[in-house]
Amino acid sequence: MDKNRRNFLKGAAAAGGAATFAAGYSGPLEKMGKGLVNGTSGVATSDRLHGNSLAPEYSVDPVTGEVSLNPDQRIAFTVCYGCTTKCGVRVRIDNNEEKVLRVSGNPYHPLSSDEHLDESTPVMDAFRRMSSFQDQGQLNRSTACARGNAAMSQLTSDQRVLNCLKRTGPRGSNQWESIPFEQLLDEIVAGGDLFGEGEVEGLRSIRDIETPLDPDNPEYGPKSNQLLMMEATDYGRGALLKRFAFNAFGTRNYGHHGAYCGLAFRMGSGAVMNDLAKNAHVKPDYANVEFALFIGTAPSQAGNPFKRQGRLLAQARTTGNMEYVLVDPALTAAASHSAGERNRWISILPGTDTALAMALIRWMLVNEGYAKDYLRIPGNRAAERAGEPGHSNATHLVIEDDNHPRAGYFLRLSDIGQADADTDNDHPVVVNGVGELESSEQAERGELFVERTVETIDGPVTVRSSLFKLRQEAMRHSIEDYADICGIEADVIRNLARRFASFGRKAAADTHGGMMSGVGFYASYAINMLNLLAGSFNQKGGVAKGGGSFNGVGTGPRYNLADFPGKVGPKGVFLSRTRFPYEKTSEYKRRVEAGESPYPAKAPWRSVAPPILTEHLLSGLEGYPYKIKAMIGVMANPMYGQAGLTSLLAERLKDPKNIGLYVAVDGFINETNRFADYIVPDSVMYEVWGFTGAWSGTLTKMTTACWPVVEPRQAKTAAGEPVCMDNFFIELGKRLELPGFGDNVIKGADGKMHGLHRAEDFYLRAAANIAMSGTPLPAASEEDIAASGIARLLGRIRSTVTEDEAGPVAHVYTRGGRFETMEKAYDGEKLGHAWARPLCVYNETVGTAIDSYSGQRLVGTPTHHAPRFWDGSLLREHYPESEWPLLAFSFKSNLMNSYAIGLERLRMIKPYNPVLLHHNDARKFGVSHGDTISIESPGGKVLALALVGDNVHEGAIGIEHGYGHRELGAASHIIDGEERAGNPYLGAGININDLGFSDPTRNDGAATWLENVSGASVRQGLPVRVSVVEAI
Amino acid sequence: MDKIRRALLGQIAKLTAGAALVPLSSVASAGINDQPPRREGDPDKRYAMLIDLRACIGCQACTVSCHIENEAPLGNFRTIVSQYEVEHEETGDVATFMLPRLCNHCENPPCVPVCPVQATFQRQDGIVVVDNDACVGCAYCVQACPYDARFINEHTQTADKCTFCAHRLDVGLLPACVESCVGGARIIGDLRDPESQISRMIKEHYNELMVLKPEMGTSPHVFYLGMDERFVSRPDAKPAIWDVRDQQGEEVGYEFSGH
Repeated sequence: MDKNRRNFLKGAAAAGGAATFAAGYSGPLEKMGKGLVNGTSGVATSDRLHGNSLAPEYSVDPVTGEVSLNPDQRIAFTVCYGCTTKCGVRVRIDNNEEKVLRVSGNPYHPLSSDEHLDESTPVMDAFRRMSSFQDQGQLNRSTACARGNAAMSQLTSDQRVLNCLKRTGPRGSNQWESIPFEQLLDEIVAGGDLFGEGEVEGLRSIRDIETPLDPDNPEYGPKSNQLLMMEATDYGRGALLKRFAFNAFGTRNYGHHGAYCGLAFRMGSGAVMNDLAKNAHVKPDYANVEFALFIGTAPSQAGNPFKRQGRLLAQARTTGNMEYVLVDPALTAAASHSAGERNRWISILPGTDTALAMALIRWMLVNEGYAKDYLRIPGNRAAERAGEPGHSNATHLVIEDDNHPRAGYFLRLSDIGQADADTDNDHPVVVNGVGELESSEQAERGELFVERTVETIDGPVTVRSSLFKLRQEAMRHSIEDYADICGIEADVIRNLARRFASFGRKAAADTHGGMMSGVGFYASYAINMLNLLAGSFNQKGGVAKGGGSFNGVGTGPRYNLADFPGKVGPKGVFLSRTRFPYEKTSEYKRRVEAGESPYPAKAPWRSVAPPILTEHLLSGLEGYPYKIKAMIGVMANPMYGQAGLTSLLAERLKDPKNIGLYVAVDGFINETNRFADYIVPDSVMYEVWGFTGAWSGTLTKMTTACWPVVEPRQAKTAAGEPVCMDNFFIELGKRLELPGFGDNVIKGADGKMHGLHRAEDFYLRAAANIAMSGTPLPAASEEDIAASGIARLLGRIRSTVTEDEAGPVAHVYTRGGRFETMEKAYDGEKLGHAWARPLCVYNETVGTAIDSYSGQRLVGTPTHHAPRFWDGSLLREHYPESEWPLLAFSFKSNLMNSYAIGLERLRMIKPYNPVLLHHNDARKFGVSHGDTISIESPGGKVLALALVGDNVHEGAIGIEHGYGHRELGAASHIIDGEERAGNPYLGAGININDLGFSDPTRNDGAATWLENVSGASVRQGLPVRVSVVEAI
Repeated sequence: MDKIRRALLGQIAKLTAGAALVPLSSVASAGINDQPPRREGDPDKRYAMLIDLRACIGCQACTVSCHIENEAPLGNFRTIVSQYEVEHEETGDVATFMLPRLCNHCENPPCVPVCPVQATFQRQDGIVVVDNDACVGCAYCVQACPYDARFINEHTQTADKCTFCAHRLDVGLLPACVESCVGGARIIGDLRDPESQISRMIKEHYNELMVLKPEMGTSPHVFYLGMDERFVSRPDAKPAIWDVRDQQGEEVGYEFSGH
C-alpha cells in the first residue's frame, strides 16, 4: 500500500462508526425456530407497517394543501434550552398523556429557519409550509438539532430534582431530605442553627443596604453585597433574577458563566467595537460573505448561534459564493471534504492565535491590503457624506508622552485650545489632507499614519495615529517569527493574508471560544481588527452585529418592569475587583500614604473587565476584597466549567465557616450545587417562562417568547404555583419584604399599580410590552390560537393584562415570539441594523487602564505576547516545554455540551471523548491508537483514550468538551433515606478543566490561571505531558 | 493558493448513480429478477432521497429525530451519520467526510426475496417495509442487506429499518430526518414527478450522483451528491473506538450494547 492510500482514511472516529450501524444482528436461527411457530416473540407494534412510529401531528391534503390537525396532539412554540443558542422550537405534545413527543423548528424563528416566515402568516399556513406539500417544507426548513431533539428527555429524567431538598449530612455528602417550600423559605430567611453545625446568618440579616460591610474600605459598599448571585446564563428569566438581586436585595454581586465561556473573545471584540460595557460582537453575514476566516471557532461544529450558523455555512459553501478557511488546533466537522475547494483547515498551536492575527495585520498594513478610503474617514459627518453607517478611529491621534496628564487618551480639540474639555464639541483631532490638525468632525479625511509633535496647552507632546500604533505593534515581529510561534508556515500566512485582502469588504474574520487562552484578549482584539482593516463591519457580505431584540422588561409602553417603588441601586466594589480601578481604592491610598509602592496590588484589579464569576467565588471565600456570607446559584456550574476551580474550591466550599448559606435553584444536581445547603427544584425547558433574544449575526430583530407548554412536574408552593426559579425569587422577595415584590409593584401606563405574586404577573406583562411596542401586533385569530396550543394560556392572559392587550399578547405566543420580517435584514449594500459607534483601531479605555501588578498602562491596540501569568512572567518560564511538551486545548462537541450528558440519545451516538493526539507526538511518546494514556498538567491528572491521527496540530492534545462529569446523574445521592443510584456512563471520558491549575504568581490565596486583561479562565493551551498506562 | 483546495474528484472514473436510474421508468408492480410483486403504496409514485453531502454538517439531527420519531431502541439506528477523517492525496489537506446512511430503498432489494414469510416487501412507491404482524424476526433480511441498514428490534423482535417515514409521507408530511436536516442536505421526493425538487436536482447533477455499493446490483435509491467514490464501498478505515472508559481508565463498554 503506498503512502497516500495508507494515510487516506483515519477512521470513523468522531461519531457514528460503522460498527454501530451494523450492530443489530444476533442469534437468527434460534429466533427463527421460535418465530415460525408463534409469530414474533416480541411485543406487537401499534401499526403493521409503521411499527411504533409516532402518529402524525397533522395531515396535508396533497391536492389542496389543506391542513387537518390531529386532535390527539398539539403543537406549541417555545424555546429550547439544549444549549445557549436558545432556538425557537415547535413542540409536539400528546394531549392525552401530556407528553412531549418530538421537537422541530419554529418556522417564524430566525434561529431555526432558512427564511423565517412573516409573523402575519397564519399558523395553519405555517404548518403547510413545513410539510411535503409542493416540497415546501424542505425548500425552506425550520429544524431542531440533535441536542434540541434529544433534550426533551430532561423532562422525564429520573435524575430530576422534583422537591425542595435540604442537606442532611455535611456539605457535599450527597445526603438530602425533601422539605416543603415554605420551610425552605423560613429557614433561609431567618437563619439559625439549621444543620446542627452552629448559627447560620439568614438572608434577612444579610440584607442590610445601609451598613458598610467594611468601614475601613467604604467603597466596598453595604453588607447586602455579601450575597453572591450566580446564574449559568440568561435563559430569558434573568430580568427577574436581577430585579431581585440588584434592585430589591441590593447586592452588587452577580456572576454568570461568561468568564469561563467566551469572555476573552467578547472583550477583544468589545475593544474593537468600542463597547467594553456590553462587549458587543459580530458574526459573518454568511449569506453574502465571499471569504471567511474562522480562527478558534468552527461554525456548524458548534458555536453560537449553532444551528443558524451551521445552516448558513452549509448553504454558502454548497449553493452560495463563500470560500472559507478554518484555523484551529483540531479538525472539526466544519472542514467539509465534500465541499472540496470551498474550504480548508489549517492547524495552529493552541494559545498562539495572536501571532497569526498580528502577522495578517502586518501583511495587510505593509501591502496596503486594507480599506483605505473607509479607514481615512475621521468622523460622523464625513461618514455620512461617504454613505457609511460609521467610521473608525484609525486617524485619531493618541497622546504618547507618559508624563502628559492625558497620556494614552486621544488628542482632542480642548488639548489644543479649540474647545472646552468635556463638552460635546470636544472632538478628537486628526491630521487632514493638507497635513494640518483638524477636528475629526470637520475634516473630510484623515492621515492614516501619523507620528509628530504637536503644541498643546500642556506643552509640546508626541502623538501617533491609531493606525500608526497598530503598525508599530504588528512590526515588532517578522512574519517568519510569527510563523514560528504559531506553527503555520510563513508562506501559508502570506497567502492567507493576500486571499483575505483580495475580497475587500466581502471578507470576514470570526472567532469565539478558542480565545480562552493565556493571550485571549489581545488575540481576539487582533482577529476582530482584521474586519476593521477590511472595512467589513456593517457591510452586506461583511460582519454583522445583528438586529437585537424587543425589550419587554424595561420601562415598556404598557408596564414599567424596570422601576418600582423603593427600587435599590446596588453600590460598591464587585467581589471580582472589576470595573473599578485599583487606584481608587482606600487600600491604594493607604499604601501611597504609607510611602510604599502601591504595586503590585494584593490581587488583580481589572478595571476594563466586567464582573467575572472566575474571581467572585474564590475572592468571596478568601475574603479579598471581602467575604460573602450567602450564595444563590441558578443552574450555575462553575466547578465543571472553570479550569482548575474544583481542586481549589471544593474543600473551601465544604466548610460552612467559609460561607454560611448556599442555596441552589436547579432541575438537576451538578458538580457545584452538590455542595449546596438547599436545592430549589426548577422547571426545565418547555416548562419555563421568559423572553430570549438572538445571538449576534442574526440580522433581524427578534424575541422568543417562552411559556410552559407542558405543566411543570416539580413540587408546588402552598399557593399552588410550581416551585421554580421565578416563583422562588417572588416568594423570597415577599418573605423578606423587599421592594419590587408583592402588591402594587408594577405600574401600568394608565397609572394603575399591579402585584407581582407569580411568574405570569411579570412575563405576561412583558409580553404586553413586546406586543404593543412600535406598531402593535394584531389580535391572534381563533384558528391561530387553536393551532398553536395556547388555548390553555388564554385564561391567564385575560386575567393578567387588559382587554386590548390580550389579543396581541396571544399573538406573541401563537408565533413563539415577535420577529421582524426578513426584508429588514439589508439596506442596499449595507446591513439593515448598523453598528454606529466609532470602531477602535486603538481603544482609549484599554490604553489608559493600568495593570494592577506592574502599574503600567495596557497596550491600547492589538499586540503580541506569549501566554503569561498575572505578574507578566511567561507560561514557559514556569512550565518549560522540556517538562510539559504538549499543550492541551478543548473544543466544543457537535453533540454534547457542558450539561447534556444526561441525554441518552446523545450518549448513544457519542458515549465519551477520546483525546486527539498527533501521530508524530504519539510516536514520540510511544502511544498507539486506542491506548489508555495519562495526561498530567501542573494541576491535575486524567486518564484518557488516545485517538491518534492527523486531526490535531503537532504538539497539541485536543479534548472535546462535555464529558468527564461527576454529577448530573453520574453519582449516587441519598434522598429521604433512599439511594438514587448514579449511572457511571454519565461519568465517562474526561473534562479539560480537571487539568486547569493555579496561577503560580498569585499570592492572594488560591486563584486559577486567568487571562490578565479579561479575567477569563484559561483552558486553551494548558501545558501537559502524556504517558501510556500499561495496566489499570 | 488561488483555489484553496484542489478538485478532489476529477481523475478517477466514477461509478455514478446513472446505472441505478436506468430501470426507473420501466418498473411497475411486476417483479424484477427474483423480486416478488410490489404491493400497497401509491403506484404513481417512486420515492427516493438525494443527500447533498456538501450541505451535511454532521450534526446528527437526523439520527436523533429519526430515533425519536420511530421509537428505535437505544443503541440501534435507522439512520446515522458516519464521520471520517480524510487526507487529500495530493495536497495533504485533512478534512471531515460526513456520510449519512439509511435504507437505500433499492430498486432490487436483496432483503425482500430472502424473507421466508414475505413480511419484508416493497411498496409500489418503492418504499421497502416490514410487516410487523408477519415478521418472525429471523434476521435473514438483516444479513442480506449489504448496507447494514436493518436490525432486529429488541422490543418488537421484528426486523426494523428506515421506512422513509412512510407514515408521514402518506399524510403529506416530511420524514423526521428531512424535516430536521439543519444543513438542508436531505431531499426526499417522488421521482415520477418531474417538477419535484429531487427530480430537478437529479437532472441538474445527474453525472455527479453516486450510490453506495453499485457493484451489488441493488440499484439503491438514496443518491449522494458530493460523494467521494472511495466511500461507495465499505471504506478501509480504522474503526471508531467504542470501548468506553470511565475516569479511572476502566473499560465500561458501550452503555446500549445489551441488545
